[in-house]
Amino acid sequence: MSAIKKLFGIVWSLMGVGIIPLVILQAMKEIAAKPSEENWIFWSIVIVVLMPIISFSLITFGIFALKGEYDVIA
Amino acid sequence: MAQNVTNVSQTEEISSTRRVIAASSVGTLIEWYDFYIFGTLAKIISEQFFPKDNPTAALLATLATFAAGFVIRPFGALFFGRLGDLIGRKYTFLVTLVIMGGSTFAIGLVPGYKTIGFFAPAIVFVLRLLQGLALGGEYGGAATYVAEHSPAGQRGFWTSFIQTTATLGLFLALGVILIVRQTLTVPVFEDWGWRIPFIVSAFLVGVSIFIRMKMSESPMFVKMKKEGKTSANPLAESFKQKDNLKMVLIALLGATAGQGVVWYTGQFYALSFLQNACNIEFEQSNTIILIALVLGTPFFVLFGALSDKIGRKYIMMAGMLIAVVAYRPIYTMMYNAADLKQKTEMVDQTSVSDPKVEVKGTDTVTTIVTKKTFSDGTAYKETVKTTIPLDEVKKAQLAAAGKLKPETKKAVILPKELYYKMIGFVFVQVIFVTMVYGPIAAFLVEIFPTRIRYTSMSLPYHIGNGVFGGLVPLISTRLVEATRPAPGLPPADPLAGLWYPILIASVSFVIGMLYISNKTNNMDVE
Repeated sequence: MSAIKKLFGIVWSLMGVGIIPLVILQAMKEIAAKPSEENWIFWSIVIVVLMPIISFSLITFGIFALKGEYDVIA
Repeated sequence: MAQNVTNVSQTEEISSTRRVIAASSVGTLIEWYDFYIFGTLAKIISEQFFPKDNPTAALLATLATFAAGFVIRPFGALFFGRLGDLIGRKYTFLVTLVIMGGSTFAIGLVPGYKTIGFFAPAIVFVLRLLQGLALGGEYGGAATYVAEHSPAGQRGFWTSFIQTTATLGLFLALGVILIVRQTLTVPVFEDWGWRIPFIVSAFLVGVSIFIRMKMSESPMFVKMKKEGKTSANPLAESFKQKDNLKMVLIALLGATAGQGVVWYTGQFYALSFLQNACNIEFEQSNTIILIALVLGTPFFVLFGALSDKIGRKYIMMAGMLIAVVAYRPIYTMMYNAADLKQKTEMVDQTSVSDPKVEVKGTDTVTTIVTKKTFSDGTAYKETVKTTIPLDEVKKAQLAAAGKLKPETKKAVILPKELYYKMIGFVFVQVIFVTMVYGPIAAFLVEIFPTRIRYTSMSLPYHIGNGVFGGLVPLISTRLVEATRPAPGLPPADPLAGLWYPILIASVSFVIGMLYISNKTNNMDVE
């Protein structure tokens, strides 16, 4: 179980890192296609609020998991 | 003799716990009521305070809806959580109640945009932020307070009453709005009657403050304070110390994020889907949600109590898993039940009214009403309203800008059988909500130590619910819009909005299953 938890730690960290370019590129693409106020507000909320929370928490959580910090909780 | 003394002592303890639950729950319920009436009346508030032709006001409208929902709530959690861990639970959540009640009452009194101009949206925006701040501090305090009064082995049961308040708050908000709307008639309600639910809050909050003033401080906090063990810096202890931060992260990613999206989907997205995708008429769609909420509410307590017996983890995880698997089939059935394309129209009963032309202010308003009946008993009413300025120059300007498009209101009225079916579909989703939400207060309070419990549990709760859950309407609407082939055409996949809650709940399920323990009684006072 510990090995699986650590292995998934890599997955969470990679997800946390991967989401940053994915969201930013999508935002740039959609805003370039239609630079409306609605688009700006939506992507601002996603980039300023949602993305940092998801990225930071997944990366930190993944590193903790990889280091075996959650082994004892089981 | 000794047995009798023990029995009397147990009876007194249960009676005291009940008083604590009642006093805490009433206040929390009223806070949720206050918070929801703004969201439920968003359309009217938008018309009164945030006119669409003023871009700044429109921007404030969006921010008021979302900022208070997700940005401010976690700040409220930090601010009041810290206060609660420093000075005590009782006084902190008394303050949140006063702020919430005061803001709500004040919103009901703010003059409209037509009277005081830009000050109107600005004042409402600030009051809405205060509402969010207060809500951020309330829940953690109430859950912590109740848990710290509850006997060991029964925390799931007792804290589940706090869990019912969010749903009952929505129920109360919808109920008060429907009653006031029906009593005053729709035009009067839209003119000034919408203020009544806000003003009523002052009375509710007054009663709740009176009850809460009589409550005693949490026994665990009192003991800790007497021993001088309170935290000097709850924020630093909660989020800078690795041992606690890792629990905050697991609470967020493995529990509250998934719980937040399941909760918002079952209660709010369901209503939005009924009204916007299925076009179910206003009162019918609201009563569907109301009845489903009433039927589902006892299950919060059931699953809370069950979590004392079999553990919190598996109930919450089962709720997330079933929701992930069942959402698409349930929403497909909801959509099909109201889809007019799948019904046979009784053409001989179709009627189209003559255009009704009225002069309203500086505009001419032309209204045409089409009524259709279908073989399964479904009725359909379509109202097309075209507003044209009397002023020819303005008319030409709007025509050139393509803004003279008619406004169409669709209303599907379901026959009894389909109406009950729809209640069943929403009820099933409320059951998912009760599974993930019923045990979560006990789960959260048990994974953090008393000295920093209020701060530590409030943040993941409000990020999970405010950010992950609160964004369900925004992101889901966006996902549906992305499948629309062209403006004016129906979306290719009206269920696309479900992918967001499904994805978040799936990740939360995997993390929860892997990393969360199933203990039920690991709460301490250290």
